[in-house]
Amino acid sequence: MHSVGRSWLLLTGFILFYIIYLLFGALVFSSIERPVEDKLREDMIVLKQEFLNLSCVNAASLELFLVKVLKANKYGVSVLRNSSVPSNWDLASSMFFANTLVTTVGYGHTTPLSDTGKAFSIIYALIGVPFTMLVLTACVQRLMYPLVLAPVGLLQRSGIEPRPATVVHFVLLLVLVVLCFFVAPAAVFSTVEVSWSFLDGIYFCFISLCTIGLGDFVPGTHPGQKYRPLYQVTVMVYLFVGLMMMYLLLRTFHKMADLHGLTTFLQLPRCEESDLDEDREPIVENERQSQKEKAANKPLEPGSQPSYNTINKG
Amino acid sequence: MAAPDLLDPKSAAHNSKPRLSFSAKPVVLNTPDYDDECDTRTTVMRWKTVSAIFFLVVLYLIVGATVFRALEQPHESSQKLAILAEKLDFLAMHTCVNSSELEDLVKQVVSAVRAGVNPSGNSSNQSSLWDISSSFFFAGTVITTIGFGNISPHTEGGRIFCIIYALLGIPLFGFLLAGVGDQLGTIFGKGIAKVEKMIVKWKVSQTKIRVFSTLLFILFGCLIFVALPAVIFKHIEGWSTLESIYFVVITLTTIGFGDFVAGEKGGSAGGSESPEYLDYYKPVVWFWILVGLAYFAAVLSMIGDWFRVISKKTKEEVGEFRAHAAEWTANVSAEFKETRRRLSVDIYDKFQRAASIKRKLSSELGINTAINQEMTPGKRTLSANLYEDREAYPNLTLSLSPVTGALSRNGSLYLNGLSPDYADRREFAIIENLK
Repeated sequence: MHSVGRSWLLLTGFILFYIIYLLFGALVFSSIERPVEDKLREDMIVLKQEFLNLSCVNAASLELFLVKVLKANKYGVSVLRNSSVPSNWDLASSMFFANTLVTTVGYGHTTPLSDTGKAFSIIYALIGVPFTMLVLTACVQRLMYPLVLAPVGLLQRSGIEPRPATVVHFVLLLVLVVLCFFVAPAAVFSTVEVSWSFLDGIYFCFISLCTIGLGDFVPGTHPGQKYRPLYQVTVMVYLFVGLMMMYLLLRTFHKMADLHGLTTFLQLPRCEESDLDEDREPIVENERQSQKEKAANKPLEPGSQPSYNTINKG
Repeated sequence: MAAPDLLDPKSAAHNSKPRLSFSAKPVVLNTPDYDDECDTRTTVMRWKTVSAIFFLVVLYLIVGATVFRALEQPHESSQKLAILAEKLDFLAMHTCVNSSELEDLVKQVVSAVRAGVNPSGNSSNQSSLWDISSSFFFAGTVITTIGFGNISPHTEGGRIFCIIYALLGIPLFGFLLAGVGDQLGTIFGKGIAKVEKMIVKWKVSQTKIRVFSTLLFILFGCLIFVALPAVIFKHIEGWSTLESIYFVVITLTTIGFGDFVAGEKGGSAGGSESPEYLDYYKPVVWFWILVGLAYFAAVLSMIGDWFRVISKKTKEEVGEFRAHAAEWTANVSAEFKETRRRLSVDIYDKFQRAASIKRKLSSELGINTAINQEMTPGKRTLSANLYEDREAYPNLTLSLSPVTGALSRNGSLYLNGLSPDYADRREFAIIENLK
C-alpha cells in the first residue's frame, strides 16, 4: 500500500518539523528573556538588602516593597532566599512556554518580559497556532482508523446495528479517555506535586486539555522540584497527546452526530475543511464499501481507478 | 469492479442492461452525497438562530457568574481579612525585621496574590474580584477557552463547578462562534462581491481577484479587530502600543496569558493607579472578543489552508505520477490477458477444426461417432463473436480483458467440455455485455 506509506512519511516529517519548531522557539525565548530575568532577580536582591538595612519600617515603604514584590512575582521571580527554582527561561521551561503558546493553552505563569519577547510571541503564535492545529488534525486522521473505524466495524460484524454500535463505541472511547487522560495523570500529579490534591490534579488536567489554561496550577513550578526538565518535557508530551485525544473524541462525536442526523437538525455548517484525502469518511457505511472494494481491487491503486474506467470506455 | 459481477454468473444473467463500463461507484472514499453537500452547500445559519443562540449564551454566562460569585466571594473576603490582620501585626512590630519574618510576610503576600487579592493599597476602595461583572468576564474566559487566569476559583466547589461549566459551555460557545463566523462571512462576502464587480470591468484575471480579496479581507479585518481595539486599549488602559497589540493577539488566539487583561487593574501599570472604567466597557470588550475570535479563526484557518494547499500540491504531483504508472500497468496486463485469450481461442479453434475434419472423415468413412455435442451452437457463436469483435473493434480489445480474463479462467472449462449449461448461461451474459 504505497499511498499509506507515503502519508506516514509525510506525517513523520510534519511531527519532526513541529518538534524542531518548538525547539527553535524555546531557544529564541531563552536567549531573549533570560538576561531580563537575571536583571530582575538582581534588582530583587538589592531591594531586599535595602529593606533590611532600615532600622524601622513604616507603612509607605512597606507598600512600595509589596508592590515591587508582587510585580516580580507575577513574572515568576521569587524573592524568597531559599527558593532554589532555577531560571524560568532555561531550555526545558522555554520549550514548555512555547508549547503552551502554540497549543493556545497559555498558562501565564511565565510571560515574556521584554518588548522583543512580546513581539516575537505574536509572530510565533500567528504561525504556530494554525500549524499545530494542522499537525493535530493530521495525527487524528491517522488515529481514526485504528481507534474508531476498526472497532466500529468489529462491533458491527458482531451483530450490533450500525447506529447503536457508534454510540456504544463512543461511550467506550469516552470512558477510556477519561481514565487514561484524567484520572491516571491526576493521581500521578497529586503524588508528584507536593501541594496538589487529587481534585486539583483532575482540575488541572481538565483546564489544560480544554486549552483554557488558567494557570493557577502549573506542574513543575514548585521550588525544589526534582528532575525538572524531564518532568516538564513529560508534561508537554502529555498535553499534546491529551489534546489529540480530545480532538479525536470531538471528531468521533461529530461523525456520530452526522449519522444520527443531529447536525442537519441544528443546521450547522457541516463541512470541516478537508485536511487530507480521507477526511470525509462516514464511520459506518464506509466499512462495508471498503471491504468490498478491497476484495475487488487488489492489484490496482484506488487512485488510478478513474483512469482505468476511461480505458474501459474506449 | 464489475469483475465480481461477471464472475458470478447468476448476477450477470440477472443484469438486463448492458454494461460495459465498470461500476459507477467512485472508489475515492467520499460518498457522493457527502461530496455534493460539501461543495455546493452554502447553507448558513439564519440570523434568527444566531441571535437565539446568542441570548442563550448570555443567559448561560449570567447564570455562571452568579454561581461563581456565590461560591467564591465568601472565601475571598475571609482571605482579605487574614491578610489585613497579617499586615497590622507587621506594622505593630515596627522594629528591625529579621529575614525570616520578612520571608513569612512575603509568602503570605504571594499566596494572597494567588488568591487574587492585592494586599497593597487601601482595602476600602478595592472592588471585589468576584462581583457580577467580573464573574461574567471570568465565565466568558472559561467558555471561550481563553482562560486569562488573573481570577481563578479557589474553593473546591468552585473548581468542580468550573469543570462542569466548561464541559457544557465550550460546545455551546462553539456553536455560537460557527454562527457568528457565518454571518461575518456573509457580510464580508457581499462587500467583496461588490468590489469584485467593479474590478471585473478592468479585466483582471480571476486569481488576481481572489488574491486581492483575500488581502482585503486580512487588511480590513486587522483594521477593525486588531488595530482599532489596540488604540482604544492603549488609551484607556495606559499600555504601550506593543502591549496593546500583544494583548489583542494573545486574547484572540485564545492563548490568554493573563498578564494583561482589559478591564482589570493589571498590566505594567501595577496597582498604583486604577483607571476609571465606564459601565459598558466590559460588555463591549466581551462582544469584541466574540467577533474577533470568529475573525481570527478565519485567518488562522486560512493560514492552515495555505499549508494544506502546499502539501496537497506535492501530493497531487505524486498522485499524478502514480496514476500514470498504474495506467501503464493496467495496459500491460490487459495486453497480456488479451494474448492469452487469443491463444486459447486459437487452440480451441484448431481443436474444433480438427474435430470437425475428423467427423467428416469418419462420416465419409461411415464410422458412427458419438461426439455430436461437443460444440453447441452457443459456443460456436461465442468463438465466432469474439473473433469478429476483436477484428471489428480493436479499441475494445482492452475492455474485453476482464471479460476474457474471466473467460480464460473458465476457458479450461470449455476445453474440457464440462457443464455445458453453465457455459451457455455465461455465453448469454458475455454476448449481452458485448453489445
